[in-house]
Amino acid sequence: MHRFALAGNPNSGKTTLFNGLTGSTAHVGNWPGVTVDKREGVYKKLSEPIAIVDLPGIYSLSPYTPEEVIARNYILDEKPDCVINIIDATNLERNLYLTTQILEIDVPIVLALNMMDAVEKRGDYIDEKELEKRLGIPVVKISALKGVGLDKLMERAHEACEKGRKGKTVIEDLALQHLIGDIKIALEGQGVHNPTFHAVKLAELDELEVLMHKDTVNMVEAFKETHKDEIFGDDFEALVADARYKYITKYFSPTLKRKNKEKFIVTPSDKADKILTHKIWGIPIFLVVLFAIFHLTFSENFLFLGGFLSEGWVSLEGTAFEGVFGSGGINSPGVILMGLMEVLTGTIADAVGVWLSTSPEWVSGLICDGVLGGIFAILGFLPQILVLFLFFSILEDSGYMARIAFILDRALRKFGLSGRAFLPMIMGFGCSVPAMINTRTLADEKEKLATVRVIPFFSCGAKLPILTAVSGAIVAYFGVGNVDLITYGMYLIGMITALFAVVLMRETTLKGDTPPFIMELPSYHAPQIRNLVMLLWDKAKHFIEKAFTIILASTIIIWVISHFNFSWKYLPDELMHESILGGIGQLIQPLFTPIGFGVQLNGMGWVFAVAAITGLIAKENVVSTLGTLAACLLGSVVNIESDGGISAVSIMIQNTGITLPALLAFIAFNMTTIPCFAAVAAAKGEMANKKTFNWTLVFWIATSYIVASAIYFIGTAWWAMFIYIAVAILTVIVIRYINAKRVSKEK
Amino acid sequence: MEPIEIIVIIASVLIVGGVIAKSIIDKKKGKTSCGCNCSTCSKCRSCNINQNKKEDTNKFQ
Repeated sequence: MHRFALAGNPNSGKTTLFNGLTGSTAHVGNWPGVTVDKREGVYKKLSEPIAIVDLPGIYSLSPYTPEEVIARNYILDEKPDCVINIIDATNLERNLYLTTQILEIDVPIVLALNMMDAVEKRGDYIDEKELEKRLGIPVVKISALKGVGLDKLMERAHEACEKGRKGKTVIEDLALQHLIGDIKIALEGQGVHNPTFHAVKLAELDELEVLMHKDTVNMVEAFKETHKDEIFGDDFEALVADARYKYITKYFSPTLKRKNKEKFIVTPSDKADKILTHKIWGIPIFLVVLFAIFHLTFSENFLFLGGFLSEGWVSLEGTAFEGVFGSGGINSPGVILMGLMEVLTGTIADAVGVWLSTSPEWVSGLICDGVLGGIFAILGFLPQILVLFLFFSILEDSGYMARIAFILDRALRKFGLSGRAFLPMIMGFGCSVPAMINTRTLADEKEKLATVRVIPFFSCGAKLPILTAVSGAIVAYFGVGNVDLITYGMYLIGMITALFAVVLMRETTLKGDTPPFIMELPSYHAPQIRNLVMLLWDKAKHFIEKAFTIILASTIIIWVISHFNFSWKYLPDELMHESILGGIGQLIQPLFTPIGFGVQLNGMGWVFAVAAITGLIAKENVVSTLGTLAACLLGSVVNIESDGGISAVSIMIQNTGITLPALLAFIAFNMTTIPCFAAVAAAKGEMANKKTFNWTLVFWIATSYIVASAIYFIGTAWWAMFIYIAVAILTVIVIRYINAKRVSKEK
Repeated sequence: MEPIEIIVIIASVLIVGGVIAKSIIDKKKGKTSCGCNCSTCSKCRSCNINQNKKEDTNKFQ
């Protein structure tokens, strides 16, 4: 089967084209690193199936980033039958730079002029026939987004792959041509494949080529002795790059006819960026946007219109929908949907309770309190998780997420952080596992390790039930704050903790230079509805699947070991503290005393400790464990399901006497401690050795204790704040002193 | 022991045993460790599945 590779700049539409050709639902993001590894599919509309490989987006075939190495190695070593070079036709000159390099390889090439819909909308025109004549390779106009021209592209590629092609260089500088020609002859004599490409790369003193062809490097060095350019001196890489751009400007630019003759056009995206990436207002705007998302998801007083409902809205009092749309204020969309879900789960729970009313006590206990209590405690949060995920996906799809990395890079570069490291961190809002894998795009190993360590502090979707349940219980039980404000505040604490932790690591154990950060900001565009719907559907499917597998199994185990003692005798609910789980809980409870939910709580305080530990399997387990145990304490299943996890936590507050600061500490602990086993495995896979991994576990435990204890002590006694500030200042002084000593020693 | 008790015990054992067994089998097969569906994950095929086969980007470095 023939294999075609898709190569092009980031955001040129390769993955959109890949999806269009193969029918795949591969994810398309708006920042570099979305495709780090290659992806394969099959195109089936020709006489034979064609394998399509989607390579990472690259700007050149020089080995500066892992993406460039992957793409380069694939084209040179795997020898695809054709390379489809996708270029963003709205940025012809910049995209053709990569084309001039691919042309040097002995491989059939077809140029796909993508985003032609945008070109035509501007009123511009590209003479593809003239471009084809000048390049010497087929050129096809397409719009991958609209699915236009794809079949024609594949037909031309198929024809091209049958003919074969020899590489040629576009370098016109006579001196360079002479050098390249000599190197090429030498390489051909050695039987090297793609001699033109390797010869040009050697002329640039490309580090991979220098390693591979050490004996030929002397030719370049000797030439450098005799030839110095007026502008670039002996920087041959710059010389070659300049030669490429000169060629592009001379031969290819005339094929583009602009309606607007101005070279630099201020697009609507540029105008939006003047505000959204403003050097002073950029970060505050981001924080406001983030708050707006939380408000739309969690608020029970939407747009702070509180009281509107009581003055004439349709009353749903006494119906099954009472409270769904709000009582003291209008609920936000997320809360409304959660209320509807809870009506559903409450109905199911009532029916099951009635059905099992004549069953043996332990059977109804296991099913109603254990299984339903646990699963429904987290299922109630599914709508809010989807709403939050939807908004984050909109931010990503629209192109705004890429701006966040740019804004944060500018602000925090002085602290040793580059914006590139923020991209995986922001991904951590979804799930820590792919976020940690995305750190492979970071070339600097120290920066990568620091990033992997702090990714769990960006609360993933699985931690959302913890945040929402405890925040909701705080508002319901203590009558303070708003759910959206508390949740937003805890997210911010996680992000601030991550930033401080990275800065601390970069100043001490992982000290190093801040890598440069170059990123293309894609134009803003409306999110693809189809993509969003498919993402949400997939997220919902996965969440429900997880609920009825891992969470279900966990709730069964939790219920069993909370109702049997070590002699395997069945215990009623009121003797839960004598169970296996109670015994384990009371054993580990002292460990959590410094952070507020240890021995200072009464007899049932161990439930919080146990819930935190079950979170290691899956973070959703924290709330489902509280749900299961709360249902047992309450002795009734109805109230749990009608309010979901919030009611479970409220019951635990009542039974344990846990304080407000301790509850906030409980949230903070779960947000910053060791993540779920899957994330731990992903982190381990990204670390160089076991020692580093073990220190990472220590780091997570230490950070969670420090953050949780700070919240607990400061919340309990406000003057404790000064102690923590003093310790922080002292730590900074000690670090700076040690660094200064190290620098003077090196000098 | 009533029939419903027997059914619940068997079902519970099957559920717990099945989930644990599936996790172990998936891990041995090198499948994704997060339990997520890969198709919409940007790291599709980049995690455990291809851990052993991933491109050696340090080949020439």
